[in-house]
Amino acid sequence: MDFANRNNTANKFVCPSDRQLALRAKLKAGWSSSKTNEPLRPEEQEAIISVIRRNEEIEIAERQRVGRLVERVEKIKLHAVERGPNCCRLCGDAFGLLRPQRILCEDCRKSVCTKCSVDINIRYHNSERTREIWLCRICSETREMWKKSGAWFFKGLPNYDMPVRSASAANTPMSTPMAGGVGAGGVGAYAGAGAGKGARAVQSCHGTPARGARIKKLTIRVNDSSSSASNSSASNSSASGQSEPEEDQLDAAKSSTAAGAAGQRLQRDESFRLRAYGSIRSFIDGGERKLSNSFLFGRQTNSRPADGQDYDNISNASTVAQLRREGSFMRRSSVSSSWSFSDSSGSGNSATQNTQNPQQQKQQQQQQQQQQQQQQQHCRDPLLGWLELAISYRESFHSLDCTMVRARDLPAMDASGLADPYCKLNIVTPEGHTKYTRWQRTKTVHKTRNPDFNETLQFVGVEPEELGNSLLYVALFDDDKYGHDFLGAAKVCLSTVHSTAQYRISVPLGVEDQYSNEAELSQSWPNGKMLISLCYNTKRRALVVNVKQCINLLAMDNNGSSDPFVKLQLKPDAHKNKKHKTSVKWRTLNPVYNEEFYFEASPHDLNKEMLILTVWDKDLGKSNDFLGSLQLGAQSKGDRLQQWLDCIRLPDHFHEKWHSLASDNPTH
Amino acid sequence: MAGGGDPKWQKDAADQNFDYMFKLLIIGNSSVGKTSFLFRYADDSFTSAFVSTVGIDFKVKTVFRHDKRVKLQIWDTAGQERYRTITTAYYRGAMGFILMYDVTNEDSFNSVQDWVTQIKTYSWDNAQVILVGNKCDMEDQRVISFERGRQLADQLGVEFFETSAKENVNVKAVFERLVDIICDKMSESLDADPTLVGGSQKGQRLTDQPQGTPNANCNC
Repeated sequence: MDFANRNNTANKFVCPSDRQLALRAKLKAGWSSSKTNEPLRPEEQEAIISVIRRNEEIEIAERQRVGRLVERVEKIKLHAVERGPNCCRLCGDAFGLLRPQRILCEDCRKSVCTKCSVDINIRYHNSERTREIWLCRICSETREMWKKSGAWFFKGLPNYDMPVRSASAANTPMSTPMAGGVGAGGVGAYAGAGAGKGARAVQSCHGTPARGARIKKLTIRVNDSSSSASNSSASNSSASGQSEPEEDQLDAAKSSTAAGAAGQRLQRDESFRLRAYGSIRSFIDGGERKLSNSFLFGRQTNSRPADGQDYDNISNASTVAQLRREGSFMRRSSVSSSWSFSDSSGSGNSATQNTQNPQQQKQQQQQQQQQQQQQQQHCRDPLLGWLELAISYRESFHSLDCTMVRARDLPAMDASGLADPYCKLNIVTPEGHTKYTRWQRTKTVHKTRNPDFNETLQFVGVEPEELGNSLLYVALFDDDKYGHDFLGAAKVCLSTVHSTAQYRISVPLGVEDQYSNEAELSQSWPNGKMLISLCYNTKRRALVVNVKQCINLLAMDNNGSSDPFVKLQLKPDAHKNKKHKTSVKWRTLNPVYNEEFYFEASPHDLNKEMLILTVWDKDLGKSNDFLGSLQLGAQSKGDRLQQWLDCIRLPDHFHEKWHSLASDNPTH
Repeated sequence: MAGGGDPKWQKDAADQNFDYMFKLLIIGNSSVGKTSFLFRYADDSFTSAFVSTVGIDFKVKTVFRHDKRVKLQIWDTAGQERYRTITTAYYRGAMGFILMYDVTNEDSFNSVQDWVTQIKTYSWDNAQVILVGNKCDMEDQRVISFERGRQLADQLGVEFFETSAKENVNVKAVFERLVDIICDKMSESLDADPTLVGGSQKGQRLTDQPQGTPNANCNC
């Protein structure tokens, strides 16, 4: 190959300059830098496109991986206390002579304690000398994230799919500035959204000459997290968000028809597309993605699918029509993880359903605002884990098959850090009600925080029209004899579910809401509930148990009532406390006792002991009937364990909680 | 081994259990043996039949290096010029380049300088390059001596290897060396220049305060 005699204009090895490209744009001469070449044959195109698609899969996985890395750091950040210079940045412990030692983090120059910091050895590249430095956990994790995500190389975080968490994503301080890193490389213009407090950053990126021909303008409106708090600006942006997609769609449609017709230009377009693939794609994609975390709330969600489609047409316009369709499907499924999961019920309509009446839209906006407010209430909640599920719809049977694949990183529920999770599913209608009275339930997977359910549950009688605006609601609970504790819940927009293909998605789990409460109530606890108050009295070195009241007890006597009393017992008992019992409340199912009992025990003993409460129906002349039982102790799970630990951790305070009564008798 | 290559590849590609992901690119004139080189490394297979690569292709391999799992996405590019617009699009994402010439082909050696220009034009400036002279098993047809190759590498300031995909000489070494170089570069760029990460944190500090605002409005 000789490079010398090909110099008709410039070195063939080097792409024409922007100026040259701009000139070519005016002349409509195409983008290929070497016009003498024969066009790519169809089979060649196919081969290349298949490689690109293979790469796309990897990139999606990579983006999600980076998203998880970012999430991880964010999670740590969320837990940081930041109480001031005299306290550890992370755990909030005050420094002092007998207290934790103060360490200054090398990166952020903030004070942390020894427990919350890591010392790393830095080896200078050109010498064998090493230097030990201390970093707080946030900074060391950030460094690690920079390494793992490749941000160190690109001098900024690459595009990532933030595992969008319904509540915390908008309020995490990190998402915006970190995501903006790509801009440093000069690829994308990035308006410093993080800088303006509550400001609406309007970013309009006029394309490079190449892009300009396709799309005149791509405007991204961003609502900073703080501004979405005010209702007026939220509705503003959602209104403008609706007009936009139509524009985009128009453009997209134009470009797609133009490209479809021009068979001759195929090769040139193709080469443009491929060359542009890296930069422009990351540009558009990045622009969208970078901001998506912060503007998911302020913006009407149904504008997103249009954007996604718009993007499809940019990148795929020149390829064969069939490929475009497939590509767009793939694309959509990848985007969906970030958008279809906004908490707003029924707003994730696909772009084709833009013909809603305005009233409905208004209603949706209101709903969304309400939900925003709700979401902000849970802004400090930790991440509750992940759920991976697959949904498919069979039109002929009108049945929705939901496969719970697995869950990851669920909250621990017992002292050994494990849980026994199961899922409950229902469909939430656009009106905000649950469609089925009976919640579907998976089997329990025992002793794990990362359960593999692999169970398919079927909802029958789901009309195809319903899919567009319904949500699938999944609540995870911890299975236990004495009550099922909430682990996390997820909502999945069904509008993206196709009748043909299985829709696989991984969603973050959120906090309790009305539906999860409903799911919880749907569990039958026929034995009723008991209100217990615990306190460890340090003066008397005893556990004080106040049996306050019971409700909805079983009726055991002929008169439709019971004569309940409660027996209390500590087991195994180091101090040989005697068993206690309350007085008998005659002819009632909702007895109120308010009786206190003392169990001598050291806090250390309590870590091993178990308080057993049994409710009995007093019968004269024959043996008492068993009504229900409750166990509280270090071996309990969920709420019961929580109360027990609270009681030990915070002595001389009463800790009060309602508990369900189980039907089996532990004293037998 | 060659037969079992495909499922293994798929396993590798889908495997999410790794620490770092490096994208590498093999470039060089047509028929210097880029595809063979990649096949030898990824699948440990070799075929002497020449099939020109169409545009681009890649393979994924996860290696264990310095207690870290490194996932390599190795792009094999077509040497032919007609695919140039396609191949150059992938320069930007690549952290490392394997610039290959054929020791039995003077032309391919003379083009090295042009390929370096390509890299400089399209890639990130901290991308790492290794110069590789392939087909070193064909001693009888050799026209580029080891010394010439090494001199050119010195001149370009890159490392140099002579390899043979056919005889499996130095193939693994090239990739391992490249991974090492990139790893070194990584720790260097972060540890010696904390402002890189710190810079982003300055940005965070700014927004730390606005964060209080939504919380103040929050009813919780």
